[in-house]
Amino acid sequence: MTCDELNEHIDPFLDNELGLAEAQKIQQHLEQCPTCESLYASRLVVRQALQKPEMRFLPAADLSDQIHGELLKQIRPPARRTWGLPAFQFPSWAWPSLAGAAAVLLLWFGSNVFLTANRSANSVIATVTGQLVSDHMRSLLANHLIDVVSTDQHTVKPWFAGKLNFSPPVYDFSDQGFKLIGGRLDYLGNQEIAAVVFQHRQHYINLFVWPKNEATNFPDATLQKEGFNLYGWEANGLTLWAITDADPETLKAFVDLQRQKQTGAE
Amino acid sequence: MNEQEKLARFEGEMLPLMNDAYNLARWLVQNEHDARDMVQDAYLRAFKFFGGVRGETSKAWLLRIVRNVCYDHLKKRQVHASDAEIENIPDHNSPETKLQVKSDIAAVRSALANLPEDFRTVLVLREMEDLSYREISEITQVPIGTVMSRLARGRQQLADSLKQMRAKDLV
Repeated sequence: MTCDELNEHIDPFLDNELGLAEAQKIQQHLEQCPTCESLYASRLVVRQALQKPEMRFLPAADLSDQIHGELLKQIRPPARRTWGLPAFQFPSWAWPSLAGAAAVLLLWFGSNVFLTANRSANSVIATVTGQLVSDHMRSLLANHLIDVVSTDQHTVKPWFAGKLNFSPPVYDFSDQGFKLIGGRLDYLGNQEIAAVVFQHRQHYINLFVWPKNEATNFPDATLQKEGFNLYGWEANGLTLWAITDADPETLKAFVDLQRQKQTGAE
Repeated sequence: MNEQEKLARFEGEMLPLMNDAYNLARWLVQNEHDARDMVQDAYLRAFKFFGGVRGETSKAWLLRIVRNVCYDHLKKRQVHASDAEIENIPDHNSPETKLQVKSDIAAVRSALANLPEDFRTVLVLREMEDLSYREISEITQVPIGTVMSRLARGRQQLADSLKQMRAKDLV
């Protein structure tokens, strides 16, 4: 092999794109020829410099949310309201499962398919609660439990009022052991929902609230899913689901307090 | 496959590749704002054509679209490459070595940013995205021989300009 031939093949050699026989010829030449050896060394320097992880640019954390939002617009009519998305970002590993869940939920929220498809209430509940469990877990895992931190219901309630077109019930039950600690916007499918957050000893309770779907009527439901306890009911035109890792009796006590207050408020 | 299923499958397959798409776009258009737009446009374009038969991997397919979107943009705007921004470099090093490393990285970034687009593209795809000649040829729509010669010339120019920078520093 001549130096000219080597010159022509040094890049595919470096990139592992040569057959074994050719690669061996290059190797032999490099061992005997200091000029070509130094060319190869300078290629390696460039490679090492380019392959440093700091050379890569990383997108801002909100880009995948933004793209997801634009993609949704491709398959749905534009949303009726246009305020900015809340700061929460889904971790990228969660996309495949979230996208799946979102797709199922879109069937329900995005169209009238639900009315005609004759899906049972149970299967809708299963879908919704599956998503709520994810929301709950993510709120704990991603350290994004609360957007507005306050133990004062008169702070939390107006905060929601500026962000949603419905008004979730916000009461503090500190005296009964369920301390209001704040509120957050979350998602059910593509719909923005309220999450009112309570603390009971070392447990957190997310109370998810959104406007009742007029087309449906759900009975109270209580169930267990992935180690969490859930309780769902409808009141005052709202659908409410409480979820926690505390035991079912504690959850029931919490729900009863909520319902008493809500009934009183009517 | 209805639209919702299509979107779910598309996002499951394509969103994990967003960092790769962004890195390529960012190196091609050379600023953060445009790079975001490019990636978003590429995803919308990809979604439109998603589901057809493809002879290439998802990554090569997406990056081909990103590359095309970026080239269209560059052509339209006649944007001339400015030096790549060198701030916001992730810092994996101890404070003692930080300054030295930072200046090395800055030098390499600026050298790469100043290469002609065609050379820059193949170097990013080969060295940062670890793609084969065949994949790079699919993405850039040129024969493998051209990929090879662009890599060779790009690397040579990069080596030369790094040598020059070091020489200047020594004076």
